[in-house]
Amino acid sequence: MASFAKACHLSARLTTRQLRQDAAARGFRTSAASMAAQNFTMPALSPTMTEGNIASWKVKEGDSFSAGDVLLEIETDKASMDVEAQDDGVMAKITKADGSKGIPVGTQIGVIAEVGDDLGSLEMPSEADAAPSSKKETSSQKLSEPKAEAPAKSSKSASSTKSSKPAKKQTKPLLPSVQALIHQKGLEQSDIDKMSPSGPNNRLLKGDVLAYLGSISDSYPSELSSKIAKLSHLDLSNIKLAAPAPKPAKKAEAVPGPAVEKDLEVAIPISMAQVIEVQQRIQKTLGVFMPLSTFIARATDVANDELPRSKTYKPSSDDLFNQVLGLNKVPSAGGARGNFLPQITALPGTAPTKGTKSAAKSADIIDILSGTTRRKVPTYSAKPGISASVNVFSVKVPKGDEKRAQVFLDRVKTVLEGEPGRLVL
Amino acid sequence: MFRSLLVPRVAVRSAFKQQSSLPTVVAPSAIARLSKRSYATEAEQDDLVVIGGGVAGYVAAIKAGQDGMKVTCIEKRGTLGGTCLNVGCIPSKALLNNSHLYHTILHDTKARGIEVGDVKLNLGTMMKAKETAVSGLTKGIEFLFKKNNVKYVKGTASFANEREVKVNLADGGEQTVSGKNFIIATGSEATPFPGLEIDEKRIITSTGAIALEKVPESMVVIGGGIIGLEMASVWSRLGSKVTIVEFLGQIGGPGMDAEIAKASQKILKKQGMEFKVNTKVMGGDVSGDKVKLQLESAKGGKEETVRHNHSGESQCNKCTDENMQIDAEVVLVAIGRRPYTAGLGLENIGLETDDKGRLVIDQEYRTKIPHIRVIGDCTFGPMLAHKAEEEAVAAIEYIQKGHGHVNYGAIPSVMYTHPEVAWVGQNEQEVKASGVKYKIGSFPFSANSRAKTNQDSDGLVKMIADAETDRILGVHIVGPGAGEMIAEATLAIEYGASSEDIGRTSHAHPTLSEAFKEAAMATYGKAIHY
Repeated sequence: MASFAKACHLSARLTTRQLRQDAAARGFRTSAASMAAQNFTMPALSPTMTEGNIASWKVKEGDSFSAGDVLLEIETDKASMDVEAQDDGVMAKITKADGSKGIPVGTQIGVIAEVGDDLGSLEMPSEADAAPSSKKETSSQKLSEPKAEAPAKSSKSASSTKSSKPAKKQTKPLLPSVQALIHQKGLEQSDIDKMSPSGPNNRLLKGDVLAYLGSISDSYPSELSSKIAKLSHLDLSNIKLAAPAPKPAKKAEAVPGPAVEKDLEVAIPISMAQVIEVQQRIQKTLGVFMPLSTFIARATDVANDELPRSKTYKPSSDDLFNQVLGLNKVPSAGGARGNFLPQITALPGTAPTKGTKSAAKSADIIDILSGTTRRKVPTYSAKPGISASVNVFSVKVPKGDEKRAQVFLDRVKTVLEGEPGRLVL
Repeated sequence: MFRSLLVPRVAVRSAFKQQSSLPTVVAPSAIARLSKRSYATEAEQDDLVVIGGGVAGYVAAIKAGQDGMKVTCIEKRGTLGGTCLNVGCIPSKALLNNSHLYHTILHDTKARGIEVGDVKLNLGTMMKAKETAVSGLTKGIEFLFKKNNVKYVKGTASFANEREVKVNLADGGEQTVSGKNFIIATGSEATPFPGLEIDEKRIITSTGAIALEKVPESMVVIGGGIIGLEMASVWSRLGSKVTIVEFLGQIGGPGMDAEIAKASQKILKKQGMEFKVNTKVMGGDVSGDKVKLQLESAKGGKEETVRHNHSGESQCNKCTDENMQIDAEVVLVAIGRRPYTAGLGLENIGLETDDKGRLVIDQEYRTKIPHIRVIGDCTFGPMLAHKAEEEAVAAIEYIQKGHGHVNYGAIPSVMYTHPEVAWVGQNEQEVKASGVKYKIGSFPFSANSRAKTNQDSDGLVKMIADAETDRILGVHIVGPGAGEMIAEATLAIEYGASSEDIGRTSHAHPTLSEAFKEAAMATYGKAIHY
């Protein structure tokens, strides 16, 4: 029950808001007294209400009322409610008497007029106007539509009226230019209703009044409006699609030739004695065997950190952007991190070499295709090429990167020969 | 008791025109909301994934968050706000305002009876003031994300398939984000000039132009559009000798009204900027101390043969028959911007761009994959922050409600030089080309009382209206406060107003906006004060 009560409150509030708008709209009309009376129909008091009964009218025909007065009491299957007046007015006619049952929402139950209207001469709206309507018909846009299309001005030819939009009753305040023209030309409210608005949301523009007066062509305002309306959309005509990107294979073919020739090899001998000693110590104390490749991989990782920039390095637009913003201090930017992977060769006589060197020297086809010339020599042979004592660690780099590679290898050497234990513990 | 509880304030007029407004208004939206709620809990994926945290992207994300969608925004830079907040509109306006104050104190206040002693420029502090404004605003967006439940992922996104993007996280690692809807809002980047490599120190874009460490002795700006002229203004006011080289015959880009462009060029020239219109840059040499640019006349291709020496006196206008070369400490490349979609993995999902790199969309911003939409600079329309913002809201409305709207015929443009230049609607060239008969009313600020008292009366308001209906087609302003004044013109165009509507509306006295009103009066009748 409580929820129903809430629903009623909500719906009542919504109705009231809508009513205020209507009332406001009505207030803008210039000649209220000449207006026809309005149908008063069965209100919907809740979203689910479809019909209601009239318990009793609290006003009689001819009574005037002011805003807030209770007009009648309505019963539904769930509750009974008082219906109050929003504005001042006169009850011109009551068409459904006390005790009427099962009146569908939207059916005419009475006619009301404005205060001061002469009830005798009032044109009574027909019952048909207020027939229970489907949802479509009552969408708020159509609220203000006149009951029938206003008859075209007699002086106009039928063809000219066809070309402009149909007339629409104005519910918004008239533009200053429109008001000025109307007063200058002595036009009536009824004339305004016959004009065909060409402005956004059916607003009546100065041009529409001029067209009505015949000083410009009848269809011109709407033609201009459609021209302007065209500009209000993105012009998506004549889109020329970009040619599909050239096949990557073609590009790759061009790159490797000169690039490979420029590559230099930087090599450095590193003794693994220290590493093996640590390896054995770990096995003795912890009983875990750490392969040499683990040491080398971790040393590589450490050594790749924050290498000096390559001479051929060119900052990308992102780097420049971040530099301008002072964001390049963030370590995650990763600008100077290297991608080196050393190739390891045992010195002759200390271990079987198995020709790994020559195998690794031929460039990786994947690298060539993907164009990553700087990530050289990702293939490094694991244990087979490593001897217990001195090995040659080498990296192949494009010209200009020698210094970077040298720093990298020096670091690998320091780490592996100095305290390799720290790499794994 | 029951009755007294349930008495709602239902009124008589409910019956007037609308009998069953409640079912139509309330019920469908309630149903829509319900269905949406159940939809969201069905799967783990987001309702919306926005790629790009610039003006288009962050507005879309916040709007979606406000509407109760589960939304993630992916941004690869360290800060939100994109070009506009970080290196575009906002920092440049900070510099424009402060450099204008400096320039005024240096040259202008004496005539106003204010004598200032030693005026010194502290560029470092000026830059810091700019950074404070920027960081305050970008952090503000991060706060708004939190407030509206927008998930913020820092990283570079790339489409894996139509429903998933892989994000290469800025802090390392990878994350997959999947969504029911996507909005691509990756923005634009400065178009590079072929043959001149950007290093943001000597060859700069607008990004570098807001962060120069010292005032360069001389600067050449390639491109006399809005960005170029704003940056030229900043550095010219701070003491650089600035030359603007423009390929076209007029400055301000093709959108600016020709008459207004000429008027503003004249005013800017008075401020010390030098212009070379109809001039092509053929190439540059950065090997020396200064950057050397070869210029050529854009008309007819006749090589101009003047050796232009910046350390000496200006002689450009006299020298037109020699091979033209120009030296500058800094060269600003401002020839426009291009959509930025690199690394987005468009090829993985088969999205197309046009010949200018813009992602192809329909009127509802949909790509050919309907749940992927594109807004902002990386697609069609003018590259303006406020246009992107409008599109962001419209795109979310399309997703949520099936209808959104941006009126592309009423998007204002503003150039924040001094005086400002602003316009909305069509310019005179465009109106003429469309074949519509038109009337023009203009009013100079020199006849405006407030501009006179401010001793700042360069410029004019120019209004173009349809000759028959008097409906306003375009408004073009060069003058003090043009950027604020254009709002009134935009509103007028949005509402389909005639010039008479403006002329019959009261404008406060004494204000600059009276010039706007008088221009309107001059369009349909006669201005009072001119």
